[in-house]
Amino acid sequence: MKNLLDVRGLSKRFGGLTAVSDISFSMKRGEIFGIIGPNGAGKTTLFNVIAGQHKASAGGVTFDERDISGYSSDAIARLGIGRTFQAVTVFKSETVAENLRRANVLRRRHNPLAVRSAAASEDRFRAVASFIGLGDHLDGVAGDLAYGLQKLLGVGMAMLIEPKLLLMDEPAAGLNPSEKREAGTLIRRLRDELGISILLIEHDMPLVMDVCDRILVMSQGAKVALDTPSEIKRDSRVIDAYLGDDYDFA
Amino acid sequence: MRKTYLAYLIVAALATLPWVVGGRYVFHVATMITIMIPLALSLNLMLKVGQLSLAQAAFMGIGAYGAVLLTMRLDFPPMLSVFAGGLLAAATAAICGPVFLRIKGVYFALLTFAFGQIVNLVFQEWTSLFGGNSGIYGIPKLSVFGMRFSTTQHYYLFGLVFCAVCYVALRLLERSEIGRIFQALKEDETLSRSLGSNALAWRVAAFVGSALIAGIAGGIYGFYIGFLSPDAFTFWLSVDLIVMNVVGGATSVLGPVLGAIFIVPLPEFLREARAFQLLIYGVVLIIFLVLIKDGLVTLFERRKPG
Repeated sequence: MKNLLDVRGLSKRFGGLTAVSDISFSMKRGEIFGIIGPNGAGKTTLFNVIAGQHKASAGGVTFDERDISGYSSDAIARLGIGRTFQAVTVFKSETVAENLRRANVLRRRHNPLAVRSAAASEDRFRAVASFIGLGDHLDGVAGDLAYGLQKLLGVGMAMLIEPKLLLMDEPAAGLNPSEKREAGTLIRRLRDELGISILLIEHDMPLVMDVCDRILVMSQGAKVALDTPSEIKRDSRVIDAYLGDDYDFA
Repeated sequence: MRKTYLAYLIVAALATLPWVVGGRYVFHVATMITIMIPLALSLNLMLKVGQLSLAQAAFMGIGAYGAVLLTMRLDFPPMLSVFAGGLLAAATAAICGPVFLRIKGVYFALLTFAFGQIVNLVFQEWTSLFGGNSGIYGIPKLSVFGMRFSTTQHYYLFGLVFCAVCYVALRLLERSEIGRIFQALKEDETLSRSLGSNALAWRVAAFVGSALIAGIAGGIYGFYIGFLSPDAFTFWLSVDLIVMNVVGGATSVLGPVLGAIFIVPLPEFLREARAFQLLIYGVVLIIFLVLIKDGLVTLFERRKPG
């Protein structure tokens, strides 16, 4: 089968600044693919270009055998690319249930003329809530939840668009060690139980090395290396660019 | 919840007030309120998607001129013309919306301001069609099922019905899935779009709906007043509509209704103090902004924080 995602020579310039420079990689279906690199390496910008929030300055993206270069972010979401954000992005003043209902209705009635398929949506969001472990928090106000739970809610909302590929921007940032382990488990379950491929930006090395099938290392907008975790750990270019001589891959 | 019913009771009581007080002049002011309520609601609909439109007066004008000219030039039955005028305004919004609504926030407000100025200029300068600044005279009366609207009371009753229809429609919209979508788009568009929502299409839909309401209100106004000139549809009317939403409370559908009931008669009470009219208007606005930030409606409804 063809690749799920092909990124070809993607560049993004903001004025004179090149945030992403000639990045190419491919993702297979069912792959958990990591992107690492120091702050300012252009990882989130790369996400934003793939997700259609920014237009690429050069290069293109093919998703599921369709060229999605230049598509709007909502069209890309409808084709099956979900995303979570670096900062918590949920509707903070609403309950968990309302957040999930909104995610559901935003996708289902994506424009005023969209046909209303009266799917059993209530069941669907309950299933998602229990999958991410928020089944007991449905009536809690999202903004009052612990930080880690708000991040989980963001994942749950993205799940409701039934993505084939989920872009996760630092899912473990700000989590405590046990929450980080749970995040790793959740990422695996998304792939193993639901067949969702994952493109992951993460700074937590043990987590990245543990869950990812392959890793792309970026520095100053450019590709430094692309390989399996075990090879990345040994790559001197990576250690120079990012990890540092005395880096410990605990 | 109970307090909302109190607000409904007060509005209903106020609606019957013209018959209690009596007099043609009172009915005139009341009729103007019933024309301004739908207009204030039409702006409220745009505010629900988080966009401030200064084009509502222009849509009212398009509806008014459109309806009156359809009847006077093409012999459309007046009642049909009122709705056709609304559709004309809606069609204008449907054509301009996809361009205008790519731009958001302050820029959208400025763009709709410019649009309003251009529309008004067309009314002024295209004299062969719109009569220019001397306006259009001799507009026939409305009629429904062969019954001619011969008194102000008839227009008042018709206006009340249209207000009720608009209010109920917007309340149903607010409670429906579409209300949920609008709220989501207003609170976080990036998130909403990442979940697949075509934000632009929804904003255009709100724009078209708001133009439809404003256009129909314009048609009713044209046939009621019997005389049309461009200065009835200036930027200042759009500003008044904002004031009605602020004073009444823009977070609720009831807000603009209360705002219109409060603001429209205000100049009439200040008639004696004409020199101070604007000053008092300004002071009232400041008092509201400082003391009753979220509008009159907060006296009756508890709003969710944020």
